[in-house]
Amino acid sequence: MSNDEIFAAAYREHYWAVSRYVARRLDGRTGEAEEVVAEVFTVAWRRRADLPAAALPWLYGVARNCLANAVRGHGRRRRLVDRLGNDDTAHGRHITTGPEADTPGGWVHEALARLSPADQEVLRLTAWEELGVDEVAVALGCGSRAAAMRLHRARRRLRAEIDRLRPGSPTAEHSCMTAPKEHGHG
Amino acid sequence: MADELELLRSADPVPPDGPHFGDGPLDDNAERRLEQLLRGQRNGLPARPHDRRGLLSGRRDPEGRRPGHVRDLLLPGPRRLRLAWGLVATAVVAALTLTLVLSGPSTPPAVAAPRPLVVETGSTPVPLHRMAELASAVAGTDDAPRLRKGTHVQSWSLGMSDDKPPITLPEERIVRWRADDSHTEVVVATDPRHPGRPVLSDEGGEPHLVDDGHLLLNQTYPPSWSDAPPKSPPPRDPARLRAYLMEAQHTDTPLTTPELLDAMATLLDNWTLGARENAALTRLLAGAEGLRPVGRVTDRLGRHGQAYVNDSRGVRCMLIMDPATGAVLGLESTLTEPEPAYGVEEGDVMSYSAWMR
Repeated sequence: MSNDEIFAAAYREHYWAVSRYVARRLDGRTGEAEEVVAEVFTVAWRRRADLPAAALPWLYGVARNCLANAVRGHGRRRRLVDRLGNDDTAHGRHITTGPEADTPGGWVHEALARLSPADQEVLRLTAWEELGVDEVAVALGCGSRAAAMRLHRARRRLRAEIDRLRPGSPTAEHSCMTAPKEHGHG
Repeated sequence: MADELELLRSADPVPPDGPHFGDGPLDDNAERRLEQLLRGQRNGLPARPHDRRGLLSGRRDPEGRRPGHVRDLLLPGPRRLRLAWGLVATAVVAALTLTLVLSGPSTPPAVAAPRPLVVETGSTPVPLHRMAELASAVAGTDDAPRLRKGTHVQSWSLGMSDDKPPITLPEERIVRWRADDSHTEVVVATDPRHPGRPVLSDEGGEPHLVDDGHLLLNQTYPPSWSDAPPKSPPPRDPARLRAYLMEAQHTDTPLTTPELLDAMATLLDNWTLGARENAALTRLLAGAEGLRPVGRVTDRLGRHGQAYVNDSRGVRCMLIMDPATGAVLGLESTLTEPEPAYGVEEGDVMSYSAWMR
């Protein structure tokens, strides 16, 4: 297959997964997610010669950069970043926590929102995009060792935040992880 | 038991089986955009040449070849290499697993794990602001080192995967960029403390057994360009460098000291600083809270340095500075609490980097 055919196949296969990735990091507003996804695939098209056989983590990496950089210098970045940090999705306010709410819903989002953006991203990639460590490394553009360490540390911090928000939650048995929020270094 | 990842998974705001963006055939808009991309190519029109807004702008090929040709030339070698080392890796993982099973969890599983650097007793700690003054003085000299894109670093870190045993992964990496924005990366697995002894690496995403000094990667990449930190040139002004490092860390909040050290490592993994950039960096480090001078150390490359440590969340970071120039020589992270789940003890080294020019 030519590069163009490989790209077209990857586009068809992963278009909706990339859309979900983007929508999760915006606030699910279809129009804007679609615009960013179009940019992602435009950039991916230009770089189609680099497209690896396992294309999806690589496309997430492109999407991540597009979300962070595609709107640079146009006054929209600020608004995007604000939304990424403060929108209802990030705080889980769009999720109903009714009386049946044994499901984590809002407070898990709240715990996530208390972490650094880098921690949030490695956790989202693992939990929502369901990537393995090696794939996370591709998406983040780092080595798999670094990705494993980042995930390890981010999980600890998330666990600590969950424990703090919900002392009786199922993860509370990991009581050694209740140190205050701070960012270690590897 | 619901662990934190399961809890997070169940709070996915856009699940694959939700009302939006579920898997299936492309909609009309998506089909049209794909068609536009493909048609643009057939007409010989780049989609958006030299669009400087994006991080990942298109590569340039002065000979007008399609980039795919470059890729075709580059890939077969590494692919073969990966296959060969993949076979070796399988044997290594099996042997390592067997060793761990037979020796039990109390045996330190890390192979050739480095000992933490030791501060020389009786040595006099030098405050960081003195280093900043020194770096500024060096920056004012005529023959001061200049900024170079790329890095030369020896690094090691403990493998910390949930489902693999901890392993050591020492390597030396050189990345150098050329005037045409192409760059070459050479990575060698090495452990200078044990010349000739086999070591492990995870190059290619899987652990590999490699001989000391084994070449893992020697690849030249075509021109590429980005205006985003840490790929963009670092500023020489401390305030602007601070903003640059925040952006490199994808954060809008002021960096904590561990985050600053993390960002510094990212910077030095991309750039070999000139004296002026280094003076700005040293100023930032001198202003960081909780980074205290502890005395003199000799790093893994045999260089003398002044050490500064920060303790946070079970990890001790040791920054090593060149006492002659105020330049950063290295960074080491050690555990200050045991991590039984990973078979590592208090005092074990988690990672180190030693940067060279």
